[in-house]
Amino acid sequence: MKTTTGKQPQIIAPDAYPQMMSKPNATRAGKTLRSTQTVEKAQAAIEAQVPALRAAILGYVEDLEKAQNDMTLVFERAHEIRGMAETAGLVTTGRIADILCRYMDDMERIKRPVDPTLVALNVSAIGRAARAEDGDAAMGDVVATELAALVARRLSDAGQG
Amino acid sequence: MTGAGFETLKALIVEDNAHMRTLLRALLNSIGIKEIAEAGNGQSGLILLRERKSDLVLSDLAMKPMDGLEFTRRVRTDEQSPNPFVPIIMITGHTEKYRVEAARDAGVTEFLAKPITAHNLFSRIAEIVERPRAFVRCDNYFGPDRRRHQLDDYAGPWRRKDDFQQEVDVR
Repeated sequence: MKTTTGKQPQIIAPDAYPQMMSKPNATRAGKTLRSTQTVEKAQAAIEAQVPALRAAILGYVEDLEKAQNDMTLVFERAHEIRGMAETAGLVTTGRIADILCRYMDDMERIKRPVDPTLVALNVSAIGRAARAEDGDAAMGDVVATELAALVARRLSDAGQG
Repeated sequence: MTGAGFETLKALIVEDNAHMRTLLRALLNSIGIKEIAEAGNGQSGLILLRERKSDLVLSDLAMKPMDGLEFTRRVRTDEQSPNPFVPIIMITGHTEKYRVEAARDAGVTEFLAKPITAHNLFSRIAEIVERPRAFVRCDNYFGPDRRRHQLDDYAGPWRRKDDFQQEVDVR
C-alpha cells in the first residue's frame, strides 16, 4: 500500500483496541442475534411501529405531491419514502420511490435535467400505491415495472445506463 | 434478552428522521440495549459522543448540516475523538455503488441498506462482535480494514505489490 509520504500503513489488530464486548460474551451475543426467537421479537417491535410509519409516509406523499417543480424537495421526500415504505409494508410504494430517486440521482451525476413529466408520473404512482388497498397491489407492481422500464429508456437516451 | 451481554452496552443513533430513530431504538431495545442516545445529525452526534461513552453507533448517511460520512471521518480522525475505534453501522437508502464506497472510505464498520429488517441489522451487529476487523492507519485513511475477506490459509499471491504485515499495539 503506497502512501503519500511513503510510510507503511499500520495495522492495529482487534486485540489491540477496545471491543464492544469480551470474547465469551461475543460468542453468546452472536448466537442470540442469529436466533429465530430474537429476530421474531424484534420484528414484532417493528410491526408495532407500522401504523406510525404509514402515517408518516402519507405525510411525505402529500409533500411530494405539493412539491411540483421543486426537485430538491421531490428527491428528499422520495428518499424518505423509499427508506421507510417497505418496512411499513408498502413494498410497491418503496419500489417506485426508489426508481424515482435512482433516476434523479443518475441525471444529477451526468449533469442533465430531469424530465418533469417522468417525475410527475412517478410521483402520481407513489401517491396511488401508498393509498392503495391490498387488492391494488398487483396493479401497483405492473405500474412499477413499467415505470422502471421507462426510466431505464430515458437514462439510456441521456447516455447513462 | 438477558445474559447475552447487551444490557451494559450504550448506543448512539444519528439519524434525521424521527420515525427511523424510533424504529432503531425499538430494535436495539429488543435485544436488551437500553442506554440509547439520539442525535438528529452528525454535528449533534459528535457532541453526544464526547459527552457519553458509546459502544455502538448507528448512523444515517444524508443529514444536514453534517452528514454521516463527515461524522464518521471526524469520529475516526479527530484528535478529540473519544473513541476512534467505535463500531459505526451506516444505515441508508442510498445504495448506489459510489455511495457505498464513500462510506467505506470514510471508515464505517458496516453498511446496511434500507429497508431495515431485524435480521439485517442483527447480522451486522453479530459480524462486529464475532469478527472484529483490524484497523488500518495510513496518510489518507484511518478505519476498519477495507479488505474484509482474508482467508486463514491464504498463501498469496499478495494483492498489493508492497503488501505487508505489521501489527501495532496501541495499548
